[in-house]
Amino acid sequence: MIQKILIANRGEIALRIVRACRELGIKTLAVYSEADVQSLHVQLADEAICIGGPKSADSYLRADRIISAAEIADVDAIHPGYGFLSENAKFAEQCESCNIKFIGPKSKSIKMMGDKAVAKDTVKKAGVPTVPGSDGPVENEAEAIKVARKVGYPVIIKAVAGGGGRGMRIAHNDISFAKEYHVARGEAEKAFGNGAVYIERYIEKPRHIEFQILGDSHGKILHLGERDCSVQRRHQKLIEESPSPFLTSDLRKKMGKAAIRAAEAADYENAGTIEFLVDAKGNFYFIEMNTRIQVEHPVTEECTGIDLIKQQIRVANGEKLDFDQGDIKFEKHAIECRINAEDPSRNFAPSPGTIGLYYPPGGHGIRIDSHAYSGYVIPPYYDSMIGKLISFGSTRKVALERMYRALSEYLIRGIKTTIPLHKAIMADPVFIEGKATTAYMEDFMNRTPPDLFS
Amino acid sequence: MKRSELSEFAVEEEGFKLKIRRGGNGQPLVSSGRGSNSPFIALPDLPPTAAAQPAVQAPATSAAPSAPKEEEGVGYIKSPMVGTFYRAASPESKPFAEPGTKVVETTVVCIIEAMKIMNEIQAEAKGTILEVLVENGQPVEYGQRLFKIKQG
Repeated sequence: MIQKILIANRGEIALRIVRACRELGIKTLAVYSEADVQSLHVQLADEAICIGGPKSADSYLRADRIISAAEIADVDAIHPGYGFLSENAKFAEQCESCNIKFIGPKSKSIKMMGDKAVAKDTVKKAGVPTVPGSDGPVENEAEAIKVARKVGYPVIIKAVAGGGGRGMRIAHNDISFAKEYHVARGEAEKAFGNGAVYIERYIEKPRHIEFQILGDSHGKILHLGERDCSVQRRHQKLIEESPSPFLTSDLRKKMGKAAIRAAEAADYENAGTIEFLVDAKGNFYFIEMNTRIQVEHPVTEECTGIDLIKQQIRVANGEKLDFDQGDIKFEKHAIECRINAEDPSRNFAPSPGTIGLYYPPGGHGIRIDSHAYSGYVIPPYYDSMIGKLISFGSTRKVALERMYRALSEYLIRGIKTTIPLHKAIMADPVFIEGKATTAYMEDFMNRTPPDLFS
Repeated sequence: MKRSELSEFAVEEEGFKLKIRRGGNGQPLVSSGRGSNSPFIALPDLPPTAAAQPAVQAPATSAAPSAPKEEEGVGYIKSPMVGTFYRAASPESKPFAEPGTKVVETTVVCIIEAMKIMNEIQAEAKGTILEVLVENGQPVEYGQRLFKIKQG
């Protein structure tokens, strides 16, 4: 019986986990860096242990200190959140060997899906459509260029150890291919310690549509619908919504079944996400699996009414999922805007500092997942996301109107944020018509005067 | 978590007050100036640490309650890891350091046990131990003050 959980994360997701634990009557232990002393979740958790200096490498990535804290505070389970150690198979293994329940999938599933080439191969064998490309990493430039020519330009060169939009380069012809290939290898080596790359056809202007998976430890795997995350800048998501304005109910059924097959191939348990690219004709291709809870999980929660974090904890506790695929309904339309401490007018330069006045919106159909508060000092050591604004309603139109209204009320003084940018997107005809693909942001920035989003 | 032998413990710093007292049924009762209603188990030397800390970005510490004014030449030996503090190598041995013990940088002052490994912690400073700030067998966090030391 899980009675105490260590939260191995920070910011808004740590707060989210504290809240779920509170509702379940589970005690919480926050581990934090010296830069996060004043963080909201540290103040709200039942216990708190400092695990290091401000830099992530000295604190949130220190598996040894986290496990040490888990032992001295006698916790039953660790929730890794997203990022940091959440997809670190070795950390999951360490938890397993210390008899501390890792709230997530088995370490072998993390390992399998963490190698993007192995993941692709695994799901392909399970009959899930994948992007045409090399079968696994390419040995050298000669082999790579052969694949590129066979698959047809443009191609994308991806790091095997990458993910989350990092370690990817695009080549449009033989001439640029050589250069991009070597740059990709170098970047991969530097960022992930592994220079291996694989090649795929580059699908132009695809939609990024991902399916939420939830599996228990008794063999049941379900999908909780999709999230359309096509509005991205440099492969970082800005806006997510569920359901996708593009999917028909037939395509949803097909993709949902494929997502479950992919999760089964990974022997999956707990929460995870299968990412697909979908072209204009409705052809869909697996690109990767995220073996963790995701930033945009609230969109699925508001659409289906299911509390994903609580379900994660229940699954980790050995409980069976007490509902079936047919019980899952997509009753509301939900949209999420990621609020970042960035200045859109300065090429999205980070804007850390002290929040003066913080006044979040409210009212019917609005949810805020944020650790910010008036007087909070945003540390410069971590990512720039300070919160998520989620709107939901009976139709997409209602959700859009609510989001626009909420963005207009949202006050964050003292720093620059992406609130004005989101407002401008909510008013943009292309987005309103549900026509956004992954090419949307570049196009939007090109045709929109900067003073409309800064 | 191991409990200390203290029956009452109070700390008062600028803008923050904490009092822990054993209640009638032996449970610690905690009241804190931050107005939290639910009892929490506080490690006695609460963060944030003060001027003795190596310079962290000023904004990160400015909102924190400040520590007591430091006396001249007084510093602290802080924990470099998370674990359990022991004053001696074994229950039968003499403690490594007492008030009055003279230390140099490499003097072992205590053991911190982390994940079944006993780590010898060095003073990393030169001077005289003034005070031992934590109890034998107490869990400690990163950066926690272990010893007060007069430098020099």
